[in-house]
Amino acid sequence: MSKQAPSIQLDSGLEIGYGSPLARFGQAVTLAGGTHFLLARNGRGKTTLLRTLARTLKPVAGSFRVHGFTQYLPEDLRFDPEITPAMIFRTLLPKARLREALDLAGRIELDVKKTYGRLSTGNRRKTNLIAAEFSVKPNTGNILLLDEPFSGLDAFARQTFEEIWQQSATNVLRLVSCHPDYDAMAMPSALMIEGHQARHLGSDGQTWSHLKNLLN
Amino acid sequence: MRLFRLTIATIFQRKAWAICALAVIALPFALPLISSATEKPILVQPARILAAWDTLWICALIWGLFTAAREGESNAKSGIGEYFLTTGVSATRQLFEIWLAVFCYVAPLTLITALICQFAAAPQDPVEHAMWWVLNAQYAALFLLVLAPLLALATALASRFGGITGFAVTLGLTLYGLYGVGYLDNMLKLEENPILHGLWLFSPQYRFADLTQRLYFKSGALPSAAFWTMTLYFGGIFAVYTGLSRLCFRTKLSA
Repeated sequence: MSKQAPSIQLDSGLEIGYGSPLARFGQAVTLAGGTHFLLARNGRGKTTLLRTLARTLKPVAGSFRVHGFTQYLPEDLRFDPEITPAMIFRTLLPKARLREALDLAGRIELDVKKTYGRLSTGNRRKTNLIAAEFSVKPNTGNILLLDEPFSGLDAFARQTFEEIWQQSATNVLRLVSCHPDYDAMAMPSALMIEGHQARHLGSDGQTWSHLKNLLN
Repeated sequence: MRLFRLTIATIFQRKAWAICALAVIALPFALPLISSATEKPILVQPARILAAWDTLWICALIWGLFTAAREGESNAKSGIGEYFLTTGVSATRQLFEIWLAVFCYVAPLTLITALICQFAAAPQDPVEHAMWWVLNAQYAALFLLVLAPLLALATALASRFGGITGFAVTLGLTLYGLYGVGYLDNMLKLEENPILHGLWLFSPQYRFADLTQRLYFKSGALPSAAFWTMTLYFGGIFAVYTGLSRLCFRTKLSA
């Protein structure tokens, strides 16, 4: 498989929603490899947009294109309570990356021998994120659509994942929906849903403190 | 086959399969010891046949269908189905991988039962003995042919309507096909009824796949033509249920 840069192209006029439109893109947006944040107040269409891009939901109107191996990690994804993270990694990840995944689990203090049902919310989130991150295909463009991956995650784990994201920015495009909890959080690229309008804001010094006042 | 591996591991980790395996291995030897066979050694062999195949039917219908339904429901409810769908694993493929994982537990149980019957309950008479393995193989094949689409149906119904529905409907359907159809047949012999006759025509005649009595009475292997007719009949049911299962199967809960 040839190496291909991941991208998402949202055409002007794209409308998302469940039957009736929740949000509309007034201008076309193109996202390339790297991390892009998806910001909106509750119920404004973050999950709907991610599901639309993952093609598990049809857009109300308009079109978009996604280039790359896509994984959508729903916020409420949960594995069987009897299975351990170690078994999840062994069954889902390529053998070549298993050691790396277990090492990361150790670094962020995820007990891979504890059953999934007995893990805390944050540790379940770590398990899901590791499963998705290490399922990334090395020789092609990848798109990770992450729905609220930070909720319940401790600061150290969050920082570790952000470092991993920086290292693989060229062949992985991550669209991350979240509710940031500190003003200085860097957000050089953000998709904002304000009211019923969606748009892209991007600049190098952009932080959450700049963006949060735009959300209504 | 990531979903297949995950489902196999999940079922393995729940450990209920071990109870079924233990029952299928131990009960054919333990139950004859607490039956009247202890007083008449000649009854040990038929008692073992009954114990072996009845245990298999019970394990497959209770545990097998329940597991299939639980996996189908869990795949749709937990977000795993949706996750795999976005990675390019289609709904058909997901149904196949879940079904295959459950089938991989049921098939060895069937093989163990057939082997127990073959080596621990075979008749002494050389003519009967010669036909024994053929009948065992025919029984195992028909059993798997009956159960395989029911597992898929349980998974699919559970993914759409919930685990209890998936389990109860397929269990009810199997019990009806094993016993209910026979009663219906007898009723129709006593009194003609076009509606019941129509129902009977479209009922799955699973009782023909239950060859326990044939083993019990040492009636010999099924004639080749009869076996292939049954295979074709249950193959047809397999095709219909597979289609229905695919239509019903959902990878995620509706929005």
